[in-house]
Amino acid sequence: MSLSQKLAGSPVHLIADSDPVTTRFGDQLIAVLPRLRRFARGLTGSAVEADDLVQAACERALARRHQFQEGTRFDSWMFRIVQTIWIDQVRSRDVRKEGGEIAEERLGSDEPVRRVEARLALQEVRRAVDRLPPDQRTALLLVTVDGLSYKEAAEVVRVPVGTIMSRLARARIALQQQLEAGGGMRRSIDNAEAQ
Amino acid sequence: MLKRSDDRLIAYLDGEVDASERREIEAWLDADPTARDKLAALAESAALVRSAFDEVMHEPVPERLIAAARGERPSAVPSAKILPFKRSGFPGHARAGRSWWFGVPLAASLFGLLLGGSAAYLSVAKLLPGALSGKQPGVEMAAADNLWLDNAAGYFKLAANAGDGALIDVPATSDPREALQKISQSVPQEVRLPDLKPWGLSFRGARLVVAEGRPAAQLVYTTDNKAIGPLTLIIGSSKEPDISPTLAHRQDVNLLYWRHQGRAYALVGQTDIGYLWGIANDVAWQLDAI
Repeated sequence: MSLSQKLAGSPVHLIADSDPVTTRFGDQLIAVLPRLRRFARGLTGSAVEADDLVQAACERALARRHQFQEGTRFDSWMFRIVQTIWIDQVRSRDVRKEGGEIAEERLGSDEPVRRVEARLALQEVRRAVDRLPPDQRTALLLVTVDGLSYKEAAEVVRVPVGTIMSRLARARIALQQQLEAGGGMRRSIDNAEAQ
Repeated sequence: MLKRSDDRLIAYLDGEVDASERREIEAWLDADPTARDKLAALAESAALVRSAFDEVMHEPVPERLIAAARGERPSAVPSAKILPFKRSGFPGHARAGRSWWFGVPLAASLFGLLLGGSAAYLSVAKLLPGALSGKQPGVEMAAADNLWLDNAAGYFKLAANAGDGALIDVPATSDPREALQKISQSVPQEVRLPDLKPWGLSFRGARLVVAEGRPAAQLVYTTDNKAIGPLTLIIGSSKEPDISPTLAHRQDVNLLYWRHQGRAYALVGQTDIGYLWGIANDVAWQLDAI
């Protein structure tokens, strides 16, 4: 198992009797940083914005570390902080409305879902994720990318499990439709074949 | 439009259905080829999404985020305290071909010097309750980390500046296991040798150093590729809790260090953090050190 896989794979817990000093807390935080970066990258669609978001989340977590409840999942707590800050940013920019409109328009299609080409350019996939409404994108990143259970994802976002299930299903179907409908996908595949 | 069957299939894929519903869905899949195609498409798109974001996991974490996680600003990272070892300071540079026993006194004197430094640090901490020992344990741990990382950077500079005349207590021979056996006799735990030839790095030999106040092995690797080498890997024992890989800098030296199951590791070099991260991955994999 690689370091990255190790960091990605296991949930991180703060042990109940850990000393809440900055160094120990920082160790826990560093261990979860790669997953936070991946989550933030998916949310923002930008490497720079993602790292800014993670940095802001680290600062907020340190400032509020006394609010972390021992015995609960540290990684879920951090995901929630990242998601909360990001939602605040989205609201302040009024991006939510724009993203929702795009996705709803695409969701209106009744085109049958076809098998997605395995050689689909990953960049196109990221763009498709970026076009999802924020709520759906969050559910997709937490469950499909990071592997949280529906219950864990619901706890991060603080919504009922049924809501996560619904958002996730919409995200997955919308994603497939976008990938299928995207001319860029076909061009990417053609380019790859031409090379 | 979302159909109810879609969310059932997705929940089935995600392992979020109970046993009875699983049986129902599997019976449905057995009977309906369209549903099977849809399931396959959903599974494939999920794998694509994971792949699309997987590369982030393999990137080095930016220093500013590590600093933020530690509650530091990048400019507040302690400045380097690299030991002033210079090539000219060791007129009797031992060649790689010299004997193991010749190296012992030199190693022992270096060991004593550094152990003395560690002991002094600990004594000061105990004698000054208002100073270090009055701080929280995490602060002491951070200070101890700084000390051994300072030393690790110093050991690297010693090896790098010496070039071909590097001090090697246990030179690599045709059988590296022999060198590892010898160095293992002087450290608390057996030392295993990661093979870094795929990176173009050749094992030169091992030195006895000090990490976290205990004897440790410094494995020295060299390469003609100036973008990577030379590199040193310190493997020592530790009583501190495990820590994830963490990047540190000391002047022009980069260090990636971590602790795992009673061992402390530090990969040290002047290469960029991308190489350092990749090589550390390889080391951790080979030594089952993560």
